[in-house]
Amino acid sequence: MPLVEIEDLKVSFRQYGGAVDAVRGISFTLEEGESLGIVGESGSGKSVSCSALLRLLPATAEVTATKLRLDGTDVAKAGKEDLSRLRGRAAAMIFQDPMTAFDPVFTIGHQIAETIQAHRRVSKREARAEARRLLERVEIKNAADVLDYYPHQLSGGMLQRAMIAMALSCRPKVLIADEPTTALDVTIQAQILQLIKEIQAEFGMALIMITHDLGVIAETVDRVLVMYRGEIMEEGPVQQIFDAPRHDYTRQLLASLEASFEPAPGGADPTPALELRGLSKSYRIRRRAGLFHEYGDFHAVRSVDIVLPRNRIVAIVGESGSGKTTTGLMAMRLTDSSSGEIVVDGKDISGLTPEALKPYRRRMQIVFQDSYSALDPMMTLAQIIAEPLHIHGIGTPREQTGKALEWLERVGLERSYATRYPHELSGGQRQRVAIARALILGPSVLVADEPTSALDVTVKTQIIGLLKRLQAEMGLSMLFISHDLSTVKSLTDSVVVMYRGRVVEEAPTARIFADPQHPYTRALLDAIPATNPRERRQRSFLSAEEIAAATPRYTVIQTGAAPRAEPQLVTIAPDHRVEAYVTP
Amino acid sequence: MLPYVLRRLLSVAVTFFVVSLIIFLMMHSIPGGPFDANDMPVSAAVREKLMAQLGLDQPLHVQYLRYMWGVLHFDFGVPYQSPGETVIQLLSRAWVPSLVLGGLGVVIGAPLGILLGMAAALNRNTWIDYFASTVSTIGLTIPVFVTSMLLILVFAVWLNWLPASGWPQPERWILPIAAYAAIPMATYARYTRSAMLDTLSRPFVTVLRAKGLSENRIVFQHVLRNSAIPLVTVFLPMFIGTATGSIFVEAMFRVPGLGAYFVSSIEKRDYPLEMALMLMITFMYCIAYLLSDIVYALINPRIRMGGSE
Repeated sequence: MPLVEIEDLKVSFRQYGGAVDAVRGISFTLEEGESLGIVGESGSGKSVSCSALLRLLPATAEVTATKLRLDGTDVAKAGKEDLSRLRGRAAAMIFQDPMTAFDPVFTIGHQIAETIQAHRRVSKREARAEARRLLERVEIKNAADVLDYYPHQLSGGMLQRAMIAMALSCRPKVLIADEPTTALDVTIQAQILQLIKEIQAEFGMALIMITHDLGVIAETVDRVLVMYRGEIMEEGPVQQIFDAPRHDYTRQLLASLEASFEPAPGGADPTPALELRGLSKSYRIRRRAGLFHEYGDFHAVRSVDIVLPRNRIVAIVGESGSGKTTTGLMAMRLTDSSSGEIVVDGKDISGLTPEALKPYRRRMQIVFQDSYSALDPMMTLAQIIAEPLHIHGIGTPREQTGKALEWLERVGLERSYATRYPHELSGGQRQRVAIARALILGPSVLVADEPTSALDVTVKTQIIGLLKRLQAEMGLSMLFISHDLSTVKSLTDSVVVMYRGRVVEEAPTARIFADPQHPYTRALLDAIPATNPRERRQRSFLSAEEIAAATPRYTVIQTGAAPRAEPQLVTIAPDHRVEAYVTP
Repeated sequence: MLPYVLRRLLSVAVTFFVVSLIIFLMMHSIPGGPFDANDMPVSAAVREKLMAQLGLDQPLHVQYLRYMWGVLHFDFGVPYQSPGETVIQLLSRAWVPSLVLGGLGVVIGAPLGILLGMAAALNRNTWIDYFASTVSTIGLTIPVFVTSMLLILVFAVWLNWLPASGWPQPERWILPIAAYAAIPMATYARYTRSAMLDTLSRPFVTVLRAKGLSENRIVFQHVLRNSAIPLVTVFLPMFIGTATGSIFVEAMFRVPGLGAYFVSSIEKRDYPLEMALMLMITFMYCIAYLLSDIVYALINPRIRMGGSE
C-alpha cells in the first residue's frame, strides 16, 4: 500500500467576492522510502497540496478529494487522535523560513523535547537527552549549549538544522520539505540539502521536496511532479524530466537554467563610471562587561576597492553578512561610509553636501530586492515612475507623465497600467516598475541589489533579460549584487567575491568560474546546485577556520607585492586579484 | 539588567523633580489663594497672620524648596481644608476605598477581558467574536458615570438586589467594582483579541500543528505566552489609573475615596494636598512603567538575552 495516496484533490479558498481554486484535481502516490520532488512557481498549489495532506490549511480552505490517505489513514476523516499521529509520526514537515518557524519565547531544547513528548511516553529528561542526540546527528557541534538557546540566538542555517532535528524526533515515515533552503545562502543550501539526503537514507524515510528551484530537484529526488496553476503538468523520473521534458512549462523552467547573454562591450572612455577606494564601514557596538559596557567596532566592510568600468556589469557575490549590500548602499551614498572614497566620473562624492550631491544622484540609481516595500503603496504606477523627474525638476507635469508612460512600455507593461497601484501587480511586474523608476533619469550607474532573489525562476529569467537589454541599450554600468551564482555567470562581465567584509577575489567572470584561487570562492562555486541530476555529487564543506588556513601563498617574485604578515590582495594575472599571503 | 534599572531609577528621580516644579508653578500661577475674601471672610490682619504661619508670604522659590525638603522627609504638610490631620493621614484614610474598589475593578476586569478576547480570537468571525467586540465597544464608549447610573438603576432600583451606594460593607462594593471593571475588561478584550490573532497567524503556529501538538497546548502554552507580552505591559499603568479613584464613580456611589480630593484641592487652593496628590500619582506611574519594562524584558528572551536594552 502506498504511503501517500492522493486522488483528484481539489482545494479552493473562500474569499471576499468568490472562491479561488488553488489546487484543481491532482493525483499522485508516494511509496515508502521514495523521494519525490514537486516543482512549480509560487501559487502553483504545491505547498497547499501537502498542507492539505496534514490538514494544516486554514478554515477558509475547502478541500475535496476522492482519496486523501496518509499511512493508511483517511486524512479527511481523521479524529484528534489520528491527526496527532499523522502529524509528526507519519509525516513531519520542515518549512521555508527557519527564522519564523520556531516559537521565539521557548528554547530550542524545549521545543524539540515537547515534540517528542507529544508522541511518546517519555520523561522530560529522556526527551531532552534525545533532543541532544538529534541535534548532534544534524551536525550541530555544541548541541548541549544549543538546547538552551532561544531561536534568535542561532543563524538561519543552524535553525534549519534544528528544524530537521525536530522533524526527525518522531521517526516520521515521510519528510515533507517545503522550500527548505530558499531563505538560505548558497553554501548553507548545499549543506542542508546534503544533510537531508543523508538522513533520508539513514532513517529510511520517504521525502517530498517542494521547491521552485530545479537545481534543488536535480540534487535530491528520484521522481518529479511539475505543477502549474494547481494542476500537474508532467510527472516522471528526474532524469527524464531534465533530458526529455514533454510539457512546454517544463521546457520553460529548464531554459531558465541556461540563460546566456552577450558580454557588455565596455566603453571608449577609460575613466571608470564608478570607483570605490578603500571604502569601509564600521559600527560601534556595545557589550556588557559586569556592571558597565565596553565599546567595540564591528567592521561590516573593511577597505574595499572596486572599479566599475563604463558599459560593464560587475557582480558582487558573497554570503549574507559579507558586506555586499552595505557596499552597494555606500556606493550610492544611501549609507554613510566610515572612510574611503567614492569616485564618480573622476570626482570623489563621499564628502559632498546633500545639495552638491543632487546632480550625482541623477547619474546613479538603485533597484532593491523587495519590490513590494520599495514602492509607495499610495501612489499610482505613473506617479511612481515619474517621481524622479519631479524631484529633479525635469519637464512639465504633462511631459513627466508622458515619459512615465513610455517607460511602462519599455519595461514591458501596458500603458493602461499607469493608474494602477503596486498591490495590484505581481512581484515580477513590480520589479519592472522599480527598474523603470530607476532608469527614467537616464543614469550611467545602476546598482541592482539582489533584484531577482524574491522572484520565481521563470519570472527571474524575464527580469534578468530586461535588465540586460536595457543595460545594452543605454550603455549602463551596473553593479549586480547577488548570491545567485548561475545568474552571475550568465549576466556579468567580472566578479568581485566578498567574504567577511573583505574582497577576497576579483576576476573576469569566465576566469573566476574556470580557475578560482581563493578557498572561499571555490567553496561558493562548489555549492552551486547541479543543473542536471547526472552531476550530483558528494560535497565536502570547509569551516571558517579551514578557509582561513587554506588562503593561498605566493612569493614576492610571483606577485611583485611586498611581504606582509596578514593576507593581502595580490594580482596574479591580468584583472585577476586574490587575497593571499605574500612571503619573501 | 542592573545598570539598566539603576539608570531608569535615576530618570524616575529626575522626572519626579521636573514634574514637581511644573506642578508647583502651575498651581501658584492660578489666580487667587487659599484665604481669599469670598472663601474665608476674615479680616486682613488675621489673613496675614495665617499666610505668615503657613509660609505663604515667602518668595515662591523658598516655598518650593521648603515643601520639597519636607517631601524628602515624607512630610507633605497639613491640608488647608482639614487642618486637624496631616496630608499623609488624610491620604491614607481616603485612599483605602479607592484602592479597594478601583484595584478590585482592574483585578477582576482584566482577566475577564482576557477570557473574552481569547474567546473572540479563537472563534473569529462567529457570533462569539461579534458579541465580544460589541461588549468591549460598549465598555470603551459609554462614560463611566452612565455605566454607574445604569448599574444603580437596574440592580438597586428595579431589581432591588443590591444597595445603591455607600461604604464600607462589602455588599456595597459590588456595584462600584462593576463600574470600575468595565474599562479594563473592554481594553483587555481588544488587546487580547488582536494580540492572539496576530500570534495565531505567525508561521510557527503552523509548525506547532504540523508536529502534532494538541490545539489546547498550542493555544494555552505557545500562543498565550507570545500574546501576553503586550498584555503584561499595560497592566500596571492601568492599575494605577483606576486604583487612585474616579471622581465620577465615587460621587455616584457616594464612596469617601480619593477622587473628590483631586477637585476640591484645586478649587480650594489647598496647595499641600494638591502637590501631594500629583507627586504621588507621578511617582506611581513612573514606577509602574519601570516595572512593566522590566517584566517585559523578563518574558521576552530577545530583549532579555540581547544585551541591556
